[in-house]
Amino acid sequence: MSAAKRVQQWATFARTWHIFDCKWQDPYQSAEVIKKYLLGMHKPIYHPMNDCGDVVVCINSREIALRGNDWRQRAYFHHTGYPGGATWTLAWEVHNKDPTMIIKKAVYKAMRGNLQRRHTMQRLFIYPGEEIPEDIVQNVTNQIRQLRLVPTRLDHIDEEEVKKFPKVMDYPTDYVLK
Amino acid sequence: MSNKNLFLKSAFVRAPLQNGVGRYVCQLQRIVLKFCKSHGASRGIRDFIEQDLVDFSRQNPGVVVYLKPRRHRGPVLVAEYLNGDRVWMSVHNKTHSEITKWMEVLRTQQGDVAGARLKKYQYTDYPSVQGPWTPFTFKDPELNVATLPDPKFGANNRLSVSATEKLRLMFEKQKISEKDMKIGE
Amino acid sequence: MAFVKRLSTLLTRTRLSIPINTQSRKIHRWVSPTLIELKYREKKQGGKVFNPRNQFLEWNLEAELYAFGKRLNEEFDSDLLLQAFTDRSYVIKEEMKQKEMEFDLKMKDNRELVKEGEQFMEEYIKLYLETVLPKFPMEGIVGIKNHLMSESVLSNVSLYLGTKDIILAAEYPVDHQTLANTFKAIVGALLKSSGEEQTAHFVRDFVITQLQGQDVNEYWHIEDPWTMLTELIAKTGSELEPRLIGEVGKNTLLACYRVGLYLDKKMLSSGFGETVAIAKEMAAREALKKIFGTEDTMHPINFKLNGIPKSTSDLRYKISAN
Repeated sequence: MSAAKRVQQWATFARTWHIFDCKWQDPYQSAEVIKKYLLGMHKPIYHPMNDCGDVVVCINSREIALRGNDWRQRAYFHHTGYPGGATWTLAWEVHNKDPTMIIKKAVYKAMRGNLQRRHTMQRLFIYPGEEIPEDIVQNVTNQIRQLRLVPTRLDHIDEEEVKKFPKVMDYPTDYVLK
Repeated sequence: MSNKNLFLKSAFVRAPLQNGVGRYVCQLQRIVLKFCKSHGASRGIRDFIEQDLVDFSRQNPGVVVYLKPRRHRGPVLVAEYLNGDRVWMSVHNKTHSEITKWMEVLRTQQGDVAGARLKKYQYTDYPSVQGPWTPFTFKDPELNVATLPDPKFGANNRLSVSATEKLRLMFEKQKISEKDMKIGE
Repeated sequence: MAFVKRLSTLLTRTRLSIPINTQSRKIHRWVSPTLIELKYREKKQGGKVFNPRNQFLEWNLEAELYAFGKRLNEEFDSDLLLQAFTDRSYVIKEEMKQKEMEFDLKMKDNRELVKEGEQFMEEYIKLYLETVLPKFPMEGIVGIKNHLMSESVLSNVSLYLGTKDIILAAEYPVDHQTLANTFKAIVGALLKSSGEEQTAHFVRDFVITQLQGQDVNEYWHIEDPWTMLTELIAKTGSELEPRLIGEVGKNTLLACYRVGLYLDKKMLSSGFGETVAIAKEMAAREALKKIFGTEDTMHPINFKLNGIPKSTSDLRYKISAN
């Protein structure tokens, strides 16, 4: 192989590092997107038999958003293998225990169950907050776009700005807000 | 996908020695016709030799034709090609017209093509004119200087514009045109 | 042992009739021990037996030589062609035989034709490449020519023209050097029988077309492309600037960098590499390819030039001379 072809091959199969901000994102819908990057399905060279998957770094996994009453009603099942070893843990309990668990399980479930799946999962890094190790930040060269807009909460806006905001009317002074 | 546990060789479509880029060379270099002079199974090949063989070798001076009469043995065509392939073919009980057709097949093929399974029906050394894709190919150059994560590259930009946003944009546009009017006055 | 006895008839044949061409998912258990046994017996008998095609009953050297010329669409002088196919080793072997039988028959070997053919090919290929690659430096042209004249290329051409069985040599199968020499001798014989232009077209059609689908830059190794490029650019007075325009996985083993070369703030070329230094060197190579007109997207080399092109080596610049 000539030098030109060698570096061409090296560049074509280089692993890109992507970052994904999970803030206010649905983990199950995001998992479908993250999966594509992990398996390299977003590349034109994709083929199930070539190893072209990328690395994805998820941040803010603590601030994911679940739909409807999923926090209270979605149960994660686990069985120890012994009789009576089945447990059902609710989503909010899982999230309290480990804030990276829900997104990890969502990505794991989104992929096909083959021998490659556990190796592919090694390329997924999840961090509960914004803080990432410095050497990982340096690797990141691309960002995956979120699926939903991140809403701004009223109590996160400056008080002055809220005051300045044009209003149709003011509440009467003796009005009791519920 | 993978077929390596089978015995049949696999190959790509290739022309031997860039045949046809310079000039065309008939790949059949010699053919041996083995037959019996008396047996009924050789009837067709005998007819072929009597009627068509001289014309065949006159039209193809580049092919050496050998005749090999053998007593009470089956009739056989053995074709040898420039790439070293040797195709052995029994023409037992074949009629004159069948043998004419098989001779044409042997003359026009480039070797033992039936001995290999084609992996694909096309082949190229250069699958792409622009060069193969790399992660840098369609990359936004702005990302080179950005500090990630950045909402500019991370926020969804494919959502449709809301009615409020549309109204705001219309209002902004109006303001500009009013300013322009003032300048115009 | 009984089944080995049954198989012993197979040994005498050159082609084994073990059914290795049938399509089945299963390899029978007897295949491996049988092949091992056959291999062992073959070794015991002193290696593989080759039956030279030219010792078969159905062999006519005269007809083969006639068909050889006709197949290639060339008019050969039959004596010269026979001489071209006669290797020196064959002549020596025949002379020894004749000495034993005490008679003398003069035979000519192809050494003279080899020399003539080689000289003609060297000159013609160089002229042809100079014409079809007008911007490529002299060193590169010589590199491509040496590749085309190498033993491996010429023996391959010779083999696929069907000389293997016709060659008169002491040994069979003939080695690569004999094959290559025979091809040169054929060119020499054609030169004597049909003239220069016809021979030139022969060399073009069978040797120069070997460049089809090949990257010509591979045949010329540039030791230090960056220095060569800067020296070339320095003459034009432009400013050359390398920039890092892409990186992937900086702290990993699979790091990849892309360096672009900018000439007066316009992109000239880019290269990839696992380190910045390699990427820069590859970018310089790409830039040189662009300057020499041999980039990957170049027009295919013209294989249809007629006649013998005129020399332009005096006008052509040499890298080493500068």
